[in-house]
Amino acid sequence: MTSPATITASTTAAAVEVTGLSKHFGSVRALQDVTLSVPAGSLTAVMGENGAGKSTLMKILAGLDSPTTGTVRVDGDEVRRFDPANLLSRHRVALVPQELALAQDRTVAENIMLGVEPGSRPFPHRRRIDERAAELLDRLAVRLDPRRSVRDLDAATQQLVVIARSLAREARLMILDEPTSILSPAESERLFEVIHSLRADGVTMLYVSHRMPEVFALSQHIHVLRDGRHVGHWPTVEVSPDTVVAAMVGRELAAESARHDTPAPTATATPRLRTRGIRGTGFTDVDLDVAPGEVVGVAGLPDSGRIELLRGIFGADPISGGELQLDGRTFTAKTPRDAIDAQVAYLPGERRQQGILPTMSVADNVNILTLGRRQRFGLLRRRALRRDADKRARELRVKTSSTSQGITQLSGGNQQKALLARWLSIEPRLMLLDEPTRGVDVGAKAEIYRLFRSLADAGVAILVSSSDLPELLTISDRIVVMAAGRVVGVIPASEATEEKVMALATGAHTMKEKA
Amino acid sequence: MAQMTAPAAAPKAPAADPRPSLFQRFLHAREASTFLALVVLFALGTLIAPGFLGTNNFLTVGQQIAQIGIMAIGVTFVIINAEIDLSVGSIYGLGAVVAGLLMTSDVAWPLAALGGIAAGAVAGLLNGLMTVGFGIPSFIVTLGTLSVYRGVTLLLSGGSPISLSSSDPNVAEFNLLGQGKLFGLLPMQLVIFALVAALGAIVLSRSRYGFNTYAVGGSAEAARLCGINTARVKITAFTLSGTLAGLAGVLGLSFLSYVQGVTGTGMELVAISAVIIGGAALFGGSGTMLGTVIGVAFIGVLQNILNLRGISSFWQTVATGGVIVLAVAADNWLRRRSGRR
Repeated sequence: MTSPATITASTTAAAVEVTGLSKHFGSVRALQDVTLSVPAGSLTAVMGENGAGKSTLMKILAGLDSPTTGTVRVDGDEVRRFDPANLLSRHRVALVPQELALAQDRTVAENIMLGVEPGSRPFPHRRRIDERAAELLDRLAVRLDPRRSVRDLDAATQQLVVIARSLAREARLMILDEPTSILSPAESERLFEVIHSLRADGVTMLYVSHRMPEVFALSQHIHVLRDGRHVGHWPTVEVSPDTVVAAMVGRELAAESARHDTPAPTATATPRLRTRGIRGTGFTDVDLDVAPGEVVGVAGLPDSGRIELLRGIFGADPISGGELQLDGRTFTAKTPRDAIDAQVAYLPGERRQQGILPTMSVADNVNILTLGRRQRFGLLRRRALRRDADKRARELRVKTSSTSQGITQLSGGNQQKALLARWLSIEPRLMLLDEPTRGVDVGAKAEIYRLFRSLADAGVAILVSSSDLPELLTISDRIVVMAAGRVVGVIPASEATEEKVMALATGAHTMKEKA
Repeated sequence: MAQMTAPAAAPKAPAADPRPSLFQRFLHAREASTFLALVVLFALGTLIAPGFLGTNNFLTVGQQIAQIGIMAIGVTFVIINAEIDLSVGSIYGLGAVVAGLLMTSDVAWPLAALGGIAAGAVAGLLNGLMTVGFGIPSFIVTLGTLSVYRGVTLLLSGGSPISLSSSDPNVAEFNLLGQGKLFGLLPMQLVIFALVAALGAIVLSRSRYGFNTYAVGGSAEAARLCGINTARVKITAFTLSGTLAGLAGVLGLSFLSYVQGVTGTGMELVAISAVIIGGAALFGGSGTMLGTVIGVAFIGVLQNILNLRGISSFWQTVATGGVIVLAVAADNWLRRRSGRR
């Protein structure tokens, strides 16, 4: 890490002063009297559980929302108009959001230079656009052809395009909102290099993330928000991860060890799920056994087929061959309905697009699978449904003012808990979980892990796919590693390390060779 | 969990929201802005339109909005599904012409009426099957069938109007559907509209099908992963929409004893407008029957006031269109003010 003192550019980097910032949505206080400062040229991390107010703070700093009270100063200049254009053009603040908004059918260069094209206005100069974009990508040490269409790029590369776009607008403060949540470990490494280039370039960064290792590796300062309040600030070198976590959750976490103390169930019993040579879109020839009470993790790069495997078993996508058994009986789900009827649950990784029913209440989201049980003369018994939802939400400690609240008003972690409550309502025998804690804060994560463990102890078989390796190592009894659609290794929990798993996942096997 | 009585037990939970007042709950209801607008319009009518305030005038309005209202009930299901049905005006004509042809062939009136309704049901079913089967936007499908069904209607009618002679007892009984009054007071059409609306409201808010409709409209993929047969939910909605448009057409024939190939042209826009004014979002997943009924009433009252003031029907068309834009803008504004997402 370069010391800020050696960077001459630090005079041009922006410093931010946030004073007494509050934001109220109706009766909800998203931020309360938050005061913090971001030194010029630093990478300052903002941490907190979901619902702690991080997103609201970032939105205000990016001009996507305006504060109820309080002030924001960028380099001493008070922000008077909270809209993104003003913050970018006057204060040079840019947001790199989680949801990347790029024009998919335009080229990389066109996206980077959109709105700041060189040349006369109505007829931008195509060649100079490409040159200027290439220059910016160079500055970030990113090798990418500026003439490629954005649609052909993976999410990680699109993110770099967004960063280059901010640079094209001469942003001096970049807000990175959970930038690694969509990245594989290798992609994250590439992003970290870009972040180093940005710092060398004199860009101040505000970094929001749930992931401790990267925050400790990258940042100089850590701020923690909890329930809308600023509850702690340390120079990174003077604080331990445990202290930060304690500040985030406001209580000591029960140690992470949610793993089995008892030996994993023996393979002699009939497995809950058995697959032999199943294949479908994105995976082929997969043999897998999951015993009742066992948690099996599926590791692999995002394109390894692990996501598709879960979808195939659930009947969300067709399976084109092979044999599948559930408790010793042949089972093929042609549609999700078949799987649900067989008490198989599936938590999709894309919570916002595939998990929540966004226009419905928490109660309706939780009840959707069991409506049939609460019918009388063809009519739904609303009071009984409400009681069901309240009970289920309470059991999983979903933080909501009322289950009649819209599901989108909950934080990510609470949405996920509500979805788990939904799936528990069918008393699942087998749970297929894809990225079960993506975008979920540490506190809720620990709760979710404990939940998995107690479900497994009650005899549920759990197959979980995740890009979060520490997570898989924490919760799995066994880790199945996939690459290029095939199972390339199975590691018992006692022997699994991140290095071993990554070695297999990126193994010489089949991966497109990369220098 | 909601109203925390023992805050000490959960120190990290945010302060529990005070229970929203009735007024706040009202403001948060989707129908709030439309209802407020209707109240304002009502006050305006009372002030500026002679003869506005009075049972007879209200019943006249009720009579006038019944057919559009019945169509709008069906369209509401389609729109909550995140689809659109542009063909209901043509299906209205189709239902009326089919019923008219059956009546002139001396078919007993209940069968003739059912025939018209069935024609609408089939037309709606086809809309649904094509939308789901071809996997193309219903905007395109129903833009096509708007024309196809109109063409079929013109072909069936042979281009000449169909008139029912009231001297025929079969016709006289049929006319009671559109012209009759319950207890000599309530227009039969209004009664039918009320029944359809009540039934629609129950289906939408109290049945499993209604829940599935909101689920599919909000996120079809999430609904599918919850085991909902999204194709069936959508096809059912289109069929409902067609059936009710056919019913509206039959009532129209019964009211006027007269129908021609172009009858019902443009009615789809009024019906869709009513649903939108009633607060349903074109993105799907939201909207209520109460909202639609208020939206229909709003359009009816607006036209009535303009009628009473003797303003030309051309201006009425202008006003209806302007109101759609204003209604959605006002709803949007209210929602942002109340922090509703």
